[in-house]
Amino acid sequence: MTATATNTGNTSPLVRSAVLGIILLIVTAALPLAGLGPNSIRLMFVTLVWLTASVAWNLLGGFAGQVSFGFAVFYGLGAYTTAIAYNSGLDRFASIILSAGVALVASFLIGLPTFRLKGPYFAIATIGVSEAVRVIMTNLEITGGASGYRIMERGAFNQRLHFYIALALAAVAVAASMLVRYSKLGLALISIREDQDAASDLGVDPFRTKLLAHALGAALTGAAGGVFVGYAAFIYPQGVFGFDISVAILLMPTIGGVGTVWGPVIGAVVYGFVQEELIASFPQFHLLLYGALLILIILFEPGGVLGLFQKLYYFVRARTSIGSHS
Amino acid sequence: MNTVDFLNLLVSALLLAGVYAAMSVGMTVIYGVMKIVNLAHAGFLMLGAYFVFEVNERLHLDPLLGVLLAFPVFYFIGITLHWLMVRRIPRSDQPTLSSLLLLFGLWLVLQNLGYMIWGNSDRAILTPRTFSTMQIGPIIFPTVRLVVFGAAVFSLAALEFVLHKTWFGRAVRVLMQNPDAGRIVGVNVDRTARIAFGVGIAFAGTAGGMLAMMYSFTPDFGGSFMLRAFVIIVLGGLESFSGVAIGAVILALVETFSILVIPSGYQPAVAFSLLVVALVVLPNGVAGLWNKRQRWA
Repeated sequence: MTATATNTGNTSPLVRSAVLGIILLIVTAALPLAGLGPNSIRLMFVTLVWLTASVAWNLLGGFAGQVSFGFAVFYGLGAYTTAIAYNSGLDRFASIILSAGVALVASFLIGLPTFRLKGPYFAIATIGVSEAVRVIMTNLEITGGASGYRIMERGAFNQRLHFYIALALAAVAVAASMLVRYSKLGLALISIREDQDAASDLGVDPFRTKLLAHALGAALTGAAGGVFVGYAAFIYPQGVFGFDISVAILLMPTIGGVGTVWGPVIGAVVYGFVQEELIASFPQFHLLLYGALLILIILFEPGGVLGLFQKLYYFVRARTSIGSHS
Repeated sequence: MNTVDFLNLLVSALLLAGVYAAMSVGMTVIYGVMKIVNLAHAGFLMLGAYFVFEVNERLHLDPLLGVLLAFPVFYFIGITLHWLMVRRIPRSDQPTLSSLLLLFGLWLVLQNLGYMIWGNSDRAILTPRTFSTMQIGPIIFPTVRLVVFGAAVFSLAALEFVLHKTWFGRAVRVLMQNPDAGRIVGVNVDRTARIAFGVGIAFAGTAGGMLAMMYSFTPDFGGSFMLRAFVIIVLGGLESFSGVAIGAVILALVETFSILVIPSGYQPAVAFSLLVVALVVLPNGVAGLWNKRQRWA
């Protein structure tokens, strides 16, 4: 995994990515208008929420290689914040933005003590934080504890509205991911992943850079939680702070291709469309499959689906170019 | 609280510290040599518990014998897994994305295999020892705790002996201090890493068996103990064996005495709060503080 620097004034990868993104956005936006049923729209809504979280995780986990096992914390905090804010009379959009803000603050609480240190402290702390937050939320009286919290919808339920909110947020996430990847910040993050000491010798501040990427990822994930609760209308700690949420959020980018712009998108689409089927047919053991999948991907194709495609592409190109030379 | 109560709590904290140290030291061995955080530790703690349970149930062996038997069995599992998976991921001087995700995946697999095989009902290993107590002067404690403490201290002493008196132990210590220097003087890094991984898993398995003698367990049982092991090795400075002992004593004391002031629902968060304090106040662990002191002196 080497960083391909694009500092020659040539912004073509960004432009190419952006064009692809805009096309995908238009196609996705048109789908509900093309007469898709409510169940398909619901599936797409869920997938878009996952997609946002997946892309958000990749900002820190993929580009900077800082694995977090605790993104469910931001997702859950976002969900609860939106639910409480909306119930106390705040506008839907303002609630989601507030969710992003709360998650952002929470990311600093985890990042400030751990990013100063080299070593596994961040990864370890994220496991601890998600445990602690789940324990606290299960015991907290004002949010209904383990029995959950209900959002009081004002006005009629409009499925398309929720879908387009989720789509807008997903578009923001992917755009942020592109801008990060093809900017100085992205190069700084990648250099930290490859060699933190060398990066700081070159003037990158690892502490601030990681903190920034973490905050951005957390805010997007918090907003995703907020978007989700608007649709689900009912949440409980085990559901939004659950261990399997954290697992899913790190699994998606790994499936698609960690540290790339489109890998987490591909992973989220794959995951979003198969996960309900999987959970329905293996209610107990979907985590077993996720674990096995993680092991297989890391051992055999760390680049995920995207890496596999790239290998195939080079393989085919090598084949054809040999043919043309001889 | 009178003196007798205080002494009782103190003794039970120290007895607990023994098994805490045994359950954390495997992580230190693996991290020290390979710079890999063994996130599958929880899975092996759980498997160790069920191993001792099954040995007790089917072969009617004493759980202590089961714990002893767990060591070679889990050592073998450890070196097999190292050969199958761990050696294939890129080596690094800090924990990498691939090592974290690989072992995290392994944890998920082990835990859910546990659910598949044993279901999610609570199990416990009951022997005549389980409910008997001992009394020394005014201090009363369960016999099983003393037995487990003895087993834990014995295993730690054996590890200490191996680390200081054998070639393998010297190789482990040099790789922890300076891997390049180790290579120069002819340490076989791959072989040492394989054995170290085996020993780390073996300690996880045996410690799981020890814990199973004291507590009831489900396939989810390892998670909370792994979190405690994290706290202990962070307090101990990640790569120090004496640090593990100090960390274990600190955590056991804090947990035991916090029962007096913190409501039981929030008990699981105690270990975590200590982790945060450790990260903020002494990032290099108690041993780091100690080293600093020595350097100044």
